[in-house]
Amino acid sequence: MNFAMALDYQNCINCKACEVACKEQNGVQLGADKQRIWVGQTEKSIFGLPFVNYYPSQCNHCLDAPCVDVCPTGASHFAEGGLVLVDQDKCILCKGCMEACPYDARFVDDKAVAVDKCTFCYDTRISKGETTTACQATCPTKVRLFGDLDDENSEIVALLKKRKFFVLKESEGTVPKLFYLFPEDERFAINSIGSDTTIYTWENFKPILEKAKAKRGM
Amino acid sequence: MKKFELLGIEINKVPLTQLLFNKTMLLAYVLLAIGVYGIYDVIVERYFIDAANAFDAGMHPGSVHVAEAMKEAIFGNGGEVKREEPWTIYIANYMYMIYSGSGIIFLVALAELFNVEIIKKTAAGFMTLGLAIVFGGLFTIAMDLNILHMQWMFLTPNLGAGMWLMLPLYSVYIPFVIFEIYLLLTNKHDLVKKIAFGILILSVLIDIVEYYIQAKLFNMNTARHLWTTYPNLTLYFIISAFVASSGIMILYSMITYKKNFPVEFKQLSGFLVKVALVCIVLLAAYEATAFLFIDKNWANVILFGRFKYDFYIYMFFAIAVPFLLLLLSYIKENGSVFFMTVASISIMIGTYIGRLIFVYGGNAYPMSDRFGTGFEKYSEYSIAKSFIFTPPSISEIFVIVGSVGVVFMVYAILENFLNVSKIREH
Repeated sequence: MNFAMALDYQNCINCKACEVACKEQNGVQLGADKQRIWVGQTEKSIFGLPFVNYYPSQCNHCLDAPCVDVCPTGASHFAEGGLVLVDQDKCILCKGCMEACPYDARFVDDKAVAVDKCTFCYDTRISKGETTTACQATCPTKVRLFGDLDDENSEIVALLKKRKFFVLKESEGTVPKLFYLFPEDERFAINSIGSDTTIYTWENFKPILEKAKAKRGM
Repeated sequence: MKKFELLGIEINKVPLTQLLFNKTMLLAYVLLAIGVYGIYDVIVERYFIDAANAFDAGMHPGSVHVAEAMKEAIFGNGGEVKREEPWTIYIANYMYMIYSGSGIIFLVALAELFNVEIIKKTAAGFMTLGLAIVFGGLFTIAMDLNILHMQWMFLTPNLGAGMWLMLPLYSVYIPFVIFEIYLLLTNKHDLVKKIAFGILILSVLIDIVEYYIQAKLFNMNTARHLWTTYPNLTLYFIISAFVASSGIMILYSMITYKKNFPVEFKQLSGFLVKVALVCIVLLAAYEATAFLFIDKNWANVILFGRFKYDFYIYMFFAIAVPFLLLLLSYIKENGSVFFMTVASISIMIGTYIGRLIFVYGGNAYPMSDRFGTGFEKYSEYSIAKSFIFTPPSISEIFVIVGSVGVVFMVYAILENFLNVSKIREH
């Protein structure tokens, strides 16, 4: 299994239901800075026309995760389904993983005195037979789709075969597994995607995944 | 003073009052008292802060602790560290102390290898000082970590992680340096002669490995391009450490030898000034060219953005002022002590700022430009930032002050028992 998530971010209305659902489902520490998932915002204006972009995001569960490499105790580790998880009992709070993460996806959980991050709800939902994450289940505009990349018949693979997509900070070489679907509205795409971004099809991206899996022995 | 011998080393029978109530120890107590207050505050913040999750809020709706936690969540400062700036002044101070302390030990080993007589005579004092400074650095990093989980460093080690490599490194390094100091102090001259060269070579190798591991620690953070694109980080750490170490060594030799050993002091300071000048020139050359290779986003923040004045101050204190004063001191005889004092203090301030820039600068460029269209807001209640900098809290600064107290205390205890600063003929 190789769990991943596709995000049709054009649909995000910044209602933050996903953030609330995540906190409620996973017992995440309360506080605006203590988020496993979040909606990033940028404001811009082109030729006097202002607009706001909403970027729902969370841990990318990278296949070649630097946070796992830097962790001295193995607290950050690859778990079933290629998930990157934190064993909080083993975390010595060196914060190396927070430095290594290109997405600032990690934060210090003051209750556990350890680093915390998105688990794709593995411990609270997926391992108990649920097929979706809390953020996906609660999203009113169907931004997120969680699934298994190794299953060619899964909904996520079908979607990625149908739609073009991109990943965040590809140049960092971490092979992230949050797939942002290329917006159907061209103008929205121009406003919300940087010019250096590579747009992929499933056929283009699959070899990258396979290479990273082979490197990690998955 | 009465002495007794242990393993060929003469140890002073120091009266307890003299050991605990000398000037250096009293200064150490003051600094440590400040440090202890800082530690107390940090421990309260880390282990006893009111924090709650949604379950707590649901299960204990009337709880004062939950109410406090919610108040902290909304109006507080967001816990001990911010997600966008995980490494702070602890790491900078750790770097400064560990690198400078081991820089002193490295310089002494090199000088001994090249048969510099005056360093050989004073090596024990310098190495003890270096070791004391290393302990100060380790004290700082211990305060930064959750030491209640440290057993996992032994139980489930990640052998490839730079952070884990610190454990075997210092497990070997510190006993090795203590052994080196032992060899310098012992009366067993035959033994020392037999193994001295081998130990010196080993010492130099261990020092190089140490800086390599330190560089690996930063270099593994692939997203922080200041650290990954800094050319030849190991070499940079060694050169910058040598500058800091030479400044500390000059000041130490003035405090320790100027009054009672004027002839030796003149020789020693003359040598150290030359070492400092060479190292400063190398560091200046490094800084002048390094930013041609450093990622432009980070270089921009440091050279032209939020950190530009810090960088100028660093250049001024670590390079310009000491270079000028030490050059004058080298050329002229009169007033050289004053120049050396100012230069050494300037080096210590400047190189410390250099470490702060390196650590804070690594985090200065926000990670939040995830889509390549501009920085996103980190917090719901803040505006998007084009740079990241959060000043250290007063408690963190107190812990740093305490680490200086550790240096004084370790050195003073060893000096009292072993007379490490005594000039020894070999």
